Amino acid sequence: MSARARLVRVLLAVLLVVSGAIVTVPALAFAQTQTPPPAGGWDFPDEEDDVPTWADDLRAQAVDLALVSAFLVLAFVSFFRKSVRLKYVTLVAAVAFLGVSKSLLISIVNVFGLLGGNLPIFRPNLAWYLLAVVTVVSTVLWGRVYCGRICAFGAFTQLVDAVVPDRWKWNVPRALERRAVWIKYGILGGALAYFLITKNPLIYPYVEPFWMFGLHLRTPVLLAMLGTLLIATIFVRNLYCRFLCPLGALLGVLSNLTVFRIKRWSECNTCKICQKACEWGAIDGPRIIKTECVRCDDCERLYEDTKKCPHHLILIRKADILARRGPIATG
Amino acid sequence: MALKRLMILAALLVGSVSLAVGQAGIEPSVLDKLKRLFPAATTFSPKEGEPLHFTAYAADARGAKTVLGYAFWTTEMVPLERGYGGPIVMLVGLDLKGIISGVIVGEHREPYGNFSIEMPQFAAQFRNKDIRDPFKLGEDIDAVSRATITMSSAVRSIRNAARRAARTLLTPPEAAKP
Repeated sequence: MSARARLVRVLLAVLLVVSGAIVTVPALAFAQTQTPPPAGGWDFPDEEDDVPTWADDLRAQAVDLALVSAFLVLAFVSFFRKSVRLKYVTLVAAVAFLGVSKSLLISIVNVFGLLGGNLPIFRPNLAWYLLAVVTVVSTVLWGRVYCGRICAFGAFTQLVDAVVPDRWKWNVPRALERRAVWIKYGILGGALAYFLITKNPLIYPYVEPFWMFGLHLRTPVLLAMLGTLLIATIFVRNLYCRFLCPLGALLGVLSNLTVFRIKRWSECNTCKICQKACEWGAIDGPRIIKTECVRCDDCERLYEDTKKCPHHLILIRKADILARRGPIATG
Repeated sequence: MALKRLMILAALLVGSVSLAVGQAGIEPSVLDKLKRLFPAATTFSPKEGEPLHFTAYAADARGAKTVLGYAFWTTEMVPLERGYGGPIVMLVGLDLKGIISGVIVGEHREPYGNFSIEMPQFAAQFRNKDIRDPFKLGEDIDAVSRATITMSSAVRSIRNAARRAARTLLTPPEAAKP
């Protein structure tokens, strides 16, 4: 990576953090304040607590905010540095911290909340809002980074994929895969239709398995669904994320706006190395299928591999030939 | 004369039947909850006033009514409060001294509600709690990990609803002192 490209990426990371602050600061100004109560003789020991100041709210959430910020920094450093090792550190942190410890997830419930005006209230839930803003902003800037390394369930299935031996896995045939990716849009549409018609968001346990982190699944049907999904995930890598996740489908729609796309060489028109390497089925010949790409970096690492990528191999050969012909060419 | 006596009898009969079946203006399911919050109460007013509340009355042997306390829905006292999936509906009972007589968790859409606010020990820890207590998760209220958004919203709802009710409905203890 050139120094300039690296600088651009660092600047973008800073931009991401600043954009979070830009969203937060005006919200502070316009944040809902409950009407101050009429003066009474109640003398609640912490009556001012009813209208907590920003300092109070921030102090109460400082640890959460710091931990979530640290995790997000880790996720984006691993993304910008294209580091495999840091990516796995991020995935483990996502499962352990966001999943098991905090159960902090972006869910179809939040999409329902957005549609029904029922999002969590802002000031006491800054960590959730930070995650939500970063999810939306990063999807517009780079694509489904959230799916690839922040979502605890996605991280979990990727870790499963990393430990299960390759020979157990069934590679979904290309033609079937290209059709199966549409299932998630069907699930998204179905869940949204169900919510808009019945106004009842309680469809979510049937379309999202994240709730396993809170051991929410009580009914035998839901337990059977989760069990089937987890067993199937052993044999089909990232089954849920690629084919079933309604939130991934929504981020996929959003990722059509992606500003900073993965670069392609002219050699990509004929070379199939990246297409074969892509575990998400997101490369189709010369084209990156943005809606399926979770920015796992596998292809981008190949682009930079001077021993594997034909772009470099051809350049090297050309340079070689030019070097040999050098005197003739200049002569 | 006989007709008048008959009419009084009829009125009494209708009155007692309506009392037995359920009170005017209160759904039987709600009345049942109100009785759980104020077991000593004999009658409840329909929901009324600003902010909306039920009033629990006890009747003495002569039939004179005294106010035992008030009950209210958190969603009507603090309508802006929301958890992860939306408002958490809870019925709170408050006596005249500012002590919570009980909390009943009603409808909600919290994904992690079943192991947090739906647990009987969640509502139980508010019984006999003074509204001047801090209501802090992890301090005087037990925290539940993985359900922070839900739990903190429910606790804020109860605290702020009870305090709003106290400010508007109750006589402050200081004022009652000589």
